[in-house]
Amino acid sequence: MRPLTLRRLLLQCSILLVILFGVVVIAIKFGAVPVSLYALGRDLWNVLVHQRAAISSDYVLIIQNIRLPRILLGIIVGASLSVAGTSFQALLRNPLADPYVLGVSSGAGLGAILALIAEPHLNVSPTLAALLTPVGAFLGAAATITAVYFLGRREGQIDGNTLLLGGVITGSFISAIIMFLMSTLSGNLRGLSFWLMGELSTPLQKSIYWFLGIGFLAAAGAIYTTASDLNLLLAGEKEAMHLGVDVPRVRLVVYVAASFLTGLAVSVSGAIGYVGLIVPHVMRLIFGSDHRTLLPTAAIGGAIAVVFADTLARTVVAPSELAVGAVTAVVGAPLFIYLLRRRLA
Amino acid sequence: MRTRTAIAALTALLSCEVPSHAQSASPLSSASPLYREVIDETGRTVRVPQPVNRIISLAPSLTETVYALGLQDHLVGDTVYCDYPPDAQKKTKVGDTINPSLEQIAALHPDLVLVTSINRFETENALETLGIPTYGTDPHTVDAIMSSSRKLADVLGAPEAGVSVAEDMQRHLADLQHRLGAVPPKRVLFVVWHQPLISVGKHTFIADALRLAGAVSIVDSEQDWPHVSLEEVARLQPDFLVFAASHSDSAAPTVDALATLPGWNIVDAVTNRRFAVISDAVNRPAPRIVSAIEDLARQLHPDAFVEKPEKEKDKNEKPAPAPIPPPPSPLSLLSSALQYNPAIAGGCACAR
Repeated sequence: MRPLTLRRLLLQCSILLVILFGVVVIAIKFGAVPVSLYALGRDLWNVLVHQRAAISSDYVLIIQNIRLPRILLGIIVGASLSVAGTSFQALLRNPLADPYVLGVSSGAGLGAILALIAEPHLNVSPTLAALLTPVGAFLGAAATITAVYFLGRREGQIDGNTLLLGGVITGSFISAIIMFLMSTLSGNLRGLSFWLMGELSTPLQKSIYWFLGIGFLAAAGAIYTTASDLNLLLAGEKEAMHLGVDVPRVRLVVYVAASFLTGLAVSVSGAIGYVGLIVPHVMRLIFGSDHRTLLPTAAIGGAIAVVFADTLARTVVAPSELAVGAVTAVVGAPLFIYLLRRRLA
Repeated sequence: MRTRTAIAALTALLSCEVPSHAQSASPLSSASPLYREVIDETGRTVRVPQPVNRIISLAPSLTETVYALGLQDHLVGDTVYCDYPPDAQKKTKVGDTINPSLEQIAALHPDLVLVTSINRFETENALETLGIPTYGTDPHTVDAIMSSSRKLADVLGAPEAGVSVAEDMQRHLADLQHRLGAVPPKRVLFVVWHQPLISVGKHTFIADALRLAGAVSIVDSEQDWPHVSLEEVARLQPDFLVFAASHSDSAAPTVDALATLPGWNIVDAVTNRRFAVISDAVNRPAPRIVSAIEDLARQLHPDAFVEKPEKEKDKNEKPAPAPIPPPPSPLSLLSSALQYNPAIAGGCACAR
């Protein structure tokens, strides 16, 4: 492993940030309603120089109220899922681990739905009620990863294939429960496709974006403090312990934080699959498997992937829309098969 | 700064008197933007800008209703499924009923977006977040379609058109009930979709439409769109199978092809070719449903329509006050046409 310098890390991150910026510009430009680059540039300039009166009303309506919030949501969700995937892969020492494949996204969805069902009966203040869904999603995610972890253990050791199979089956079992709940309950619940496929189309209240951003930074920061330990864990839990890693503490911190990130993403966007699988793989290929660079680059890469996938989702069949989860699955599922075959070979 | 001005303007507006029903009769009566608070059919309070000059419809039934009310010039957008009247296809499309494009809707600057039970609640919420008012309808009976159209007309600032549409529907239905008299209802299976077999529950407007046409659904379910097993259909043995046909749906099999599907031969109505094919207007809770009801009644109870042919002809030629489509072609024409090209829609209820 090449020694990490701050300069190299910053360079890698800034390259990715430039790409993210490019993707964001594409995402702002394209959509069901055509916006010319000239009009976009003029409006952005007017925003920068605070010429509020000169900003066109279409800019406010479409770019500021619809596209930008959606892009912001894509960035947070993509970064969260990607960091969660990277963490699960390190902790389970399985490169195919991903919140969606392991059933954790489905678990978070079920938790969120149960929270939504319970909300009217709990008699809490509106501020608290808004937090119930993410908390429910977090608990659902944490419970699922715990269950899958124990399903994947054989003779005290994690068995990669058993773990994946356990995750896939758990996910499909939970999806069945979600389908059952959706067909028996109606009312103010989101549609079934949201929880099974994921989408970013619904604008949220402004305060939610703050909650998501701060939640992401806190959880991703907590995981980053264990980055060196995760590197040692790649050699095996026992080996890491001999090298002085407090394995139970690292495991607890990373499981909780990664479940929180998954719950955060799922509670606002449903189950978007394979982001946490593809992005860390690509980043590992480019930048190596040192978690001190892998975690931040995977976060930015996840943001790029989801914003780009969502731009496709809302343009290919415009003016109708696809679920962004369908786009990521079309790319992710074949890649998953490829990686699985290569690993078994 | 701008927001503050807007809030000040809004406060000033709010302190104005909210116009009463009578005052907001004409959509062009007032020049300054005013708001009127109405409660829609889902129980939400909606602040409707007055007058309503730009309408977007997110369901084919709502598009048809807007046309029936003569407000089509105010309709600035609708969905890709909105195919009736044909002019509705020329309106700007905002997507489908489930996943419309929010930005396309916003770009059309609507005063009001019309939604109904087939739309998703997320769409309503998202539009609300964007400050675009939505008005929801949810009719479950034919009577409710009438009152819903009347109320919608009132909200859109054309109450007279609503009254006239509802009265017209009422008159056609009263006429029909008079003709049918006390004929025993035919037991029918309404086929919403054939693979899997989906029919209608008792709380749907389609079940109510069947009752008005002198039919009764053999399916008596609390669910709105129940899956029904063929065994159950064979056990109940309906007199007729009722299908809704649409011209745009070419993927659906023909009536004859249905008889060859595995398992369907255990239903006597299938082996005896006892079908009624009516317009897909029956799938849409809009004023045109009355024509589908009349058509079905003619096919199920032809005897009730043979005695007085002149009077019937009179009725067909009477100009309708509202743009309700004329009753469909006479039975003989229709059924002969169907024998040659009996495209069934199976009409997905999701696209009504």
